[in-house]
Formats: sequence, structure tokens, C-alpha cells
Amino acid sequence: MRWRHRRTGRDLDMKDYFAGIDIGSTMTKVVIMNEEIVASLIVATSPEQRKMANRVMEDALSMAKISFSEVRYLVATGYGRINVPFADKQITEISCHARGVHYWLPSVRTIIDIGGQDCKAIRVKDGRVTNFIMNDRCAAGSGRFIEVIADTLGVDLGDMGRLSLSARQPVRISSTCTVFAEHEVVAKLAEGAALPDIIAGIHEAMARRIHGMARRIKIERDVAITGGGAKNIGLVTVLQDIIGSPTTVPEEPLLTGAIGAALLGKEIAKKGSPTPGERAPLAEASFFD
Amino acid sequence: MAKKRKSRFHATEAAAKIPRIVKDFTLDALRAKEDGKPTCYSFICCSYDEIIRAMDIVPIWTENFAGVCGAKHDAQRFLERAEAEGLSRSLCTYALCGIGFDAWREELGEMPPDSPWGGMPRPDMMLGSGQMLCDPRNKWYQASQHYMPDVPTFDLGLLWPPFEDGYDRKEVEDYYVKYNVEQLRALVDFLETQTGRKMDWDRLEAVVDLADRTWNIIWEAYELRRAVPTPMGTGDAMNTMVPMVFMMGTEEAYNFYSDLYDELKQKVDNGEGVIEDEKYRLIWGGGLPPWFALADFTYFNGKGAVFPVEITYRMVEAVYNLDMPKVSDPLERIAWRNCKYWTYWHDKARKRPGSHPDVERLIQYIEDYKIDGVVMHEAFSCRTWHVGLIWQLNQLKKIYRELPSLILESDIVDISSYSEVDTHNRIDTFIDALEASKNRP
Repeated sequence: MRWRHRRTGRDLDMKDYFAGIDIGSTMTKVVIMNEEIVASLIVATSPEQRKMANRVMEDALSMAKISFSEVRYLVATGYGRINVPFADKQITEISCHARGVHYWLPSVRTIIDIGGQDCKAIRVKDGRVTNFIMNDRCAAGSGRFIEVIADTLGVDLGDMGRLSLSARQPVRISSTCTVFAEHEVVAKLAEGAALPDIIAGIHEAMARRIHGMARRIKIERDVAITGGGAKNIGLVTVLQDIIGSPTTVPEEPLLTGAIGAALLGKEIAKKGSPTPGERAPLAEASFFD
Repeated sequence: MAKKRKSRFHATEAAAKIPRIVKDFTLDALRAKEDGKPTCYSFICCSYDEIIRAMDIVPIWTENFAGVCGAKHDAQRFLERAEAEGLSRSLCTYALCGIGFDAWREELGEMPPDSPWGGMPRPDMMLGSGQMLCDPRNKWYQASQHYMPDVPTFDLGLLWPPFEDGYDRKEVEDYYVKYNVEQLRALVDFLETQTGRKMDWDRLEAVVDLADRTWNIIWEAYELRRAVPTPMGTGDAMNTMVPMVFMMGTEEAYNFYSDLYDELKQKVDNGEGVIEDEKYRLIWGGGLPPWFALADFTYFNGKGAVFPVEITYRMVEAVYNLDMPKVSDPLERIAWRNCKYWTYWHDKARKRPGSHPDVERLIQYIEDYKIDGVVMHEAFSCRTWHVGLIWQLNQLKKIYRELPSLILESDIVDISSYSEVDTHNRIDTFIDALEASKNRP
């Protein structure tokens, strides 16, 4: 069953809800907001993204205590954005991150987003993207790099940042390739290097790679770090040192894309166009639908 | 083996003719070999094409063959062959594809199986021409010679004055041209020795006259693309460059651009554009294209974006704008035209502090073609043509104005470097940035 959108932007009010769903390569994030965030969810991305999108949306609606029909506009973002059939619009994650970071940190001019499978640097002005660069070819600048190394070291991913802060003499990891870096880590372990020193070395190698990419679009202050990588205090600290300026991590660095998606949806609804005539129902779907 | 590919939409009839033209000159080279005509491995933008045309030597365009392999998604086996020969994958993939092909053909004593468009025949000579553009073009044929030790090579070294703040290029141009004329004369000697033919200087002069007229008509046709909506985009220009770089000095090339001029003029007069609703006008600001992914230009078009102009393969200026000295020796004319083409932007760049000829050219095109954003392509294996792209972009923003920009990353031939999903994601984001930029007060 399909249903029609009800109103135009001119009658937007406080009771209107907007939603953003950000399906990343590793994590899926949902935000529902009106003037404030009323519900948010972060779950691991599962292979059947269409089913998952439906499920997380229902969970978020339940948290917000509203029905799907009360969501005035819904924007999907992230690399899995095409797998949200009930979205009103798909917008790229870079635009959504820019808008989402602006919501929490309006003075930010450069965003470094360290995602599960890629890394991006985004220059912003007034919440709009002015320039961007991505590394989506190589795992060495992404969360995947740390995951692989954590696995090799037998360390819980969440402990990597804290452990690295106690390093005395970070080792030098010369390889920029995840696979070869893993070999190097094994060799360092065999040489008897301390675990914190190895982890700190890994963070430094990764931070240098990210910095090298971000410099291409000229890093301008203030700088925010988002994505899963922003939750790693060791990585953020060394990245800050290399950049040579303080950086800020938003309140919940994983949510900025979904927040931005909801805010952009609100802007679209405010303009009154293009309001979609109809929206697919929130019903279980698969890749074949 | 080649995979099934998406076809690219052509806005112009001229561009749609190009695959047949390329196939024809590829087959011409094969036929020339069978007929015993002299053939030579050749590079584009070599400045010797008029000389070999005047001596009836048939060119085998090695870069073009690699591009064809790439466009047909059939380069990997030749790249892998070169890699197996110990050549680094980080070298120019045009060269790797060509050398891999040569090594395979020489080993078999015949064309490798299912060679794209019949393959490249064994040449009688190989004419290098790195100039200041591309160092692989000095070394490639020397490497190919390992597999064909009996095939002589000649390496032409044409130079032009580099841009520097400290001196005026006019003070040294004459010196450069003299040197280049000597290089060209040495090439003629080499060709005469190899073929046993004498250069017909009157014929060369006629070919140079024809090339001058061809340069002019190309420039005039391309300038029609300034129109809004633009009648032709870079996707087509990546096709229509073929006669410019592979057929210069032939009547066919002149006639092709004459027809293109007429076609574009008619489109402009009728207000006919590449797309109906032109929202964003972009410049292809540098970098060779990913030949296997030219359909991405259609993807841009689908987002309301068109490319009225490009830096890449716009290898001509109007000769009447080049301030050429009056000389009669055709070799001198070739040398002066080549030199003036490269120094054309020097004077303009000198007038703008912090500028550079490459940046100045971008600025001029941005103004002339009403450009909203810049797209560049970094092909990982093409170092020399891609060095400085980021610097140019940063300099453009510093001395001119902030424009949305996009750097695409892959290669010219190596398809393993390309991800359609990631590329389209970048393009989508760039379109968002263009839209935001247009709406900014």
C-alpha cells in the first residue's frame, strides 16, 4: 500500500518529525528529530540492508513513540542509501556529515571522517560542502585497519585507544598497506616490542596517511573528527599532534551523518519542494524488491 | 578477455564516427605491413607526424592501441604479461600494455590471440618523442627494442622554454627553436636512411599548410562550445581528439573538423545542447581520462552537468593567434608552431601574480566557457601529465576564486584501479557541492 504526503512546507510546525538513516559500511545510524533529537540508534550494518533498514527504522520510531506517518521527510545517506526504499530522498554522506557537524559545531571548517571502510576530509562553510577528498581505495586509512591490527594483537577494539596512550616509545610502522602492516606488527611482537608501543605506532602510521590525504584540500581550523575513528582517543591524539591544531569530536561522532540527513530533509520540507507524491511503505523488503 | 561494456551516449554525429575511424587507421597499419610499406611506432603530440605523412611512412599509434585495449576492457592480459617480464606495475600503463603486447607478439611470432582490432604490427622503426611531456615516451621504445633488437629507434627531443618569473621566454625562444629544427632535421636524415626515400620538401610544405589550417578549424569548432547550452561535451571531445592527434596533416582530419564545425554551428543556432536542462558547466581541468569508464560522462549528464571544455587533448591553438614569425622552411614552421603552442599562455600568466601558464589556461577557460566547477582525473600510472594537478587547483583558488572541484582517481588503462560505485558516489557529492555553491549568496 502507498500513501500520499499530506502537507507542503508552508505549514511546517513543531510537531513535525524528520528522520535520517545513515547506512555505513560497518555501522547503521538512525536519527529522528523535530527541534531536537528525539530518538537515535546505532547498530552494526548487516548484509541484508533492506530488511535491516526497515527494522532499525521501526525501532527508532518506537523509541520516539511516533508512527511512520508522522515522519514528515526521511533522507537516507551512507553507502547503503539506495537500500532504503521508504526514504523520500537519498543524499551523499559527505553533504550529510557537513550539515550534521554544523548542527553541533558551527565553527568547524574541516571535517575528518574516519569510517569503517573509508576516510574522508571535508571542507565546509555554513554547513555546506565546499571541497572534499576521499580515500576509498585502501583500508590503511580506515577503521578496518585498526580492526585488523586489533585482531592480530588479540586486543579488544575498544581498548586500542586507551592502551596506546601509555606507550613509551612508539614503534615505526613503515608499510602503508594493511596486509603488510599486519606482517610488520607480527614481526615487532616477535622482537618483543611492548603492546602499547605497537598500537601507538599503528595509530601514528594511520594518522600520517589521513593527514596526507586531508592536506590536499588544505586543512582549515576548526577541525572536527567524526566516524568510528573519532572514538579512538589514541588515534585522535596523534592526529591532532600531526595536524598541529586542536581538534573537536562531536558529542556522538557516529551520528553526524544521520543528523545531517534529518536536517537536510527538514530543509527540503521547509522549501515545500520537491515533496514526493508518494512514499514506499515501511515494510520488510529484500534486495530483490 | 573483453567484458560486455556500457556504451556511451554521443552528443555529436562527429564523435559517433570515431570508432570506425580508429578501426580504419588501425587496420591501415596492418595492411601497410602486408603491402611492404614502411611503418613506424609513433606517439601523439610528437611534432613529427607531418614529416612521416610527407614521406608516406605509416604510423602505428602505440598509445592509441593501449587506449583501445583499455576501452575494450582487454588490457589486463597485456599488463600482466609486462609484469611477468619484470616491469613494475607503477610504470605508465600505456607503456606496459604496449610492451606486454610486443613481448607476447614477438614470442609467438604472430599476433596474440584475439588481439583488439587485429593488434599492432611489428614496426620497421620506432620514433620516441618524450618532449617535456612524458618521460616514458623516451624509454618505452628502448624497452620494446629488447624484444625487437633489429628494429631501429630514434628519440626526438623537442623542448620549449619553461615558465619562470626571472626571464621573458622571447629572449630564449629562438635558441630553443634552432635546437628543435636540428632535431627534426636529424629525424628526416634517419627516416631517409631507413626507408631509402628522399624527403619531398614541397610536399612537406603542403602538409604543414594543411596542418595549420586544421589547427585553425579545430580551434574555431571547439570555441563554438562556449554556447549555452553547450553543443558538445568532453565525453565527445575524448573521441573527436582522434584526428587531431593521430591524423594531423591529412585531408581526412581537416574535413572531419570542418564537418564538426558545421554540426556544432547548426546545434548552436538551434539552441541544441548536450542535455536539455543544463544546470552545471564543468571543465575537465586535467588528467588523461579512464578510457574504460567514459560512460561516466553520461552519468554526469544525468545529473545536469556538462563539460563544454577540457584541458586534456586540446592540443592546438589558432595558428593566427600564435604570433608566428614569417619563415619558409617547413621544419622551422613545425618547430615554431610547437614552441609557440607551449609558450602561448606565458605572457598572460606573467600578468597575474602567482599565476602559471597551466593555471592561467584554466582561468581563461573558466571565464570563456562560464564554468561552475573543475573536475580532474589522477591516473595513478601517468606521473608526468598528472604532476602538479593539485597544485594548480590550489593555486587557482588562491589567485582566482574558490570553485567546487573534484579529483577522480583511477587509471588510463588499468581497470583494477577503478570502482564505479565509489566514483559515482564522489560525483554525487560533487553535484551536491555545486548545488550548494550555486545557492550560496
